[in-house]
Amino acid sequence: MKKFVMIHDENLCIGCEACSVACKNENQIPSGVFRVQVHAKMKGVFPNLQTDFTRASCVMCEDSPCVSVCPTGASFKLANGITLIDENLCVSCKYCILACPYNARFLNPITKAIDKCTFCYPNRVSDGLTPACVSVCPTDALIFGDINDNNSEVNKVLASKSVEYPKAHLGTKPKLGFIKNTKGGRYE
Amino acid sequence: MNNMAGSLMQYNEIYWPWPIALYLFLAGLSAGCLMVSLIVKFNRFTHNTNSIWDATIKAGALISPLAISLGLLLLIIDLGKPLTFYLLLIKYNFTSVMTLGVLFLLVYTPLAFLYALIIFEREIGLYFRFLIPITNSIRKMANFAKMIEYVLFFLALCVGAYTGFLLSAISKIPLWNTPILPLLFVVSAFSCGIAANILVGILFFKAHLNKENIKYLLVLDLRAIMLEIPILLLLFVGMYYSGGESLISLKAIFSHEFYSKLFWFGVLGTGLILPILIALTALKNHAYKPAFIIINSLAVLVGVVMLRFFIVYAGQVCIS
Ligand code: SF4
Ligand code: SF4
Ligand code: SF4
Repeated sequence: MKKFVMIHDENLCIGCEACSVACKNENQIPSGVFRVQVHAKMKGVFPNLQTDFTRASCVMCEDSPCVSVCPTGASFKLANGITLIDENLCVSCKYCILACPYNARFLNPITKAIDKCTFCYPNRVSDGLTPACVSVCPTDALIFGDINDNNSEVNKVLASKSVEYPKAHLGTKPKLGFIKNTKGGRYE
Repeated sequence: MNNMAGSLMQYNEIYWPWPIALYLFLAGLSAGCLMVSLIVKFNRFTHNTNSIWDATIKAGALISPLAISLGLLLLIIDLGKPLTFYLLLIKYNFTSVMTLGVLFLLVYTPLAFLYALIIFEREIGLYFRFLIPITNSIRKMANFAKMIEYVLFFLALCVGAYTGFLLSAISKIPLWNTPILPLLFVVSAFSCGIAANILVGILFFKAHLNKENIKYLLVLDLRAIMLEIPILLLLFVGMYYSGGESLISLKAIFSHEFYSKLFWFGVLGTGLILPILIALTALKNHAYKPAFIIINSLAVLVGVVMLRFFIVYAGQVCIS
């Protein structure tokens, strides 16, 4: 059984938003809303400033609050760890948007259903391709693959680097991990 | 954050706006009115009423189905896809409080209408003759009807409480994510049920007014209000000591220009302090002064509406 995992290496990320644009293009996301954005946060005191680039998207919780609150079962999980939304079952009550601790969901103004990152499963990953955002990343800051495949790149990265999962205390067990910024994006 | 990522709207939107706040009020109102109506019916003061159908019983029976119907209408209108609301009736997810609510309401709403039919049997005989077959068949099952009343009371309690659990299931919003919220909602639903029953009773069913019942209810209401204040205090103290995001949210709420005022003047001032003041002055020793009773009831009702708006909006706006 495959289990899909994505890792965002914040040291490699340059905040170019190519992932965001590729996602919009591939998944036909209307203007004004996003499945993924990279947010830049500057910290420190001049001249010792550091900018962190953080990815804001669905983190594919194993125990997803969005799934447990959805009254119609429109939000559901696949065995491979991906959380999806069945547009036809969604009544757009927006309960899941409020329940998602990662603010990953939004109302799609065209379909009127709720939308979020799918790991590109329906349109790419199920055909053996990588997600659109991963495929365009110029610095290979995004790593995607099957954690149950010992030779996969995600497994190599997981074995060699320290990967953090956001809001771990909530017990949602995300499948999108982050390698925290230690050096990148520094303005000198 | 310097924004190169595009619009950040989707992270700041209020996803549950005023129709939801109003629905939470109306569901509470319906449940409260029904519970109060039943309580008066269970232990009514028969000795000095000319009719066994007291004004406050009638008021509750009338408000309850209307309030819940209006509330449900608002709820459906607020869906992003209103026409798909039927999916909520055929697709269930038992880990979702919303599904539980749907199931409660599915039984509660028709029973609330049935209850109104029983209470207004005579009026129906006079003005809505086409409904007579229904009231007659209920009459044939009189013993059964008594049991239904207990079931209905329990269901009303569930409806009142579920609106609280609906919000408290949201871990992201500290003001909501507390077991105190359902308790607060039930007590305030009960309080506004009393106020509404008294108000509608005095205004529309004067002929069946029983002063003893009104006084009895006013005392009950005062107790509910006195209970609400420590519950609110508990809610905020709980948020304070949870620290972290809860504390940040608490500070944001009480330093927010509008929502802090909404709480101090609307929820606390109008809804809780004013009724207590009236009870201690104008209505002292259970005096019967209709004008003040009406003002008192209006204040309670306005306060409960404000409470729902405060919780719904301040919760969503003031997250860390
Ligand atoms: S991040 Fe949000 S939308 Fe994604 S699975 Fe977790 S709760 Fe659901
Ligand atoms: S908005 Fe749609 S997906 Fe979200 S909880 Fe409601 S029905 Fe489920
Ligand atoms: S995995 Fe696909 S849907 Fe998710 S952010 Fe990347 S491109 Fe968008």
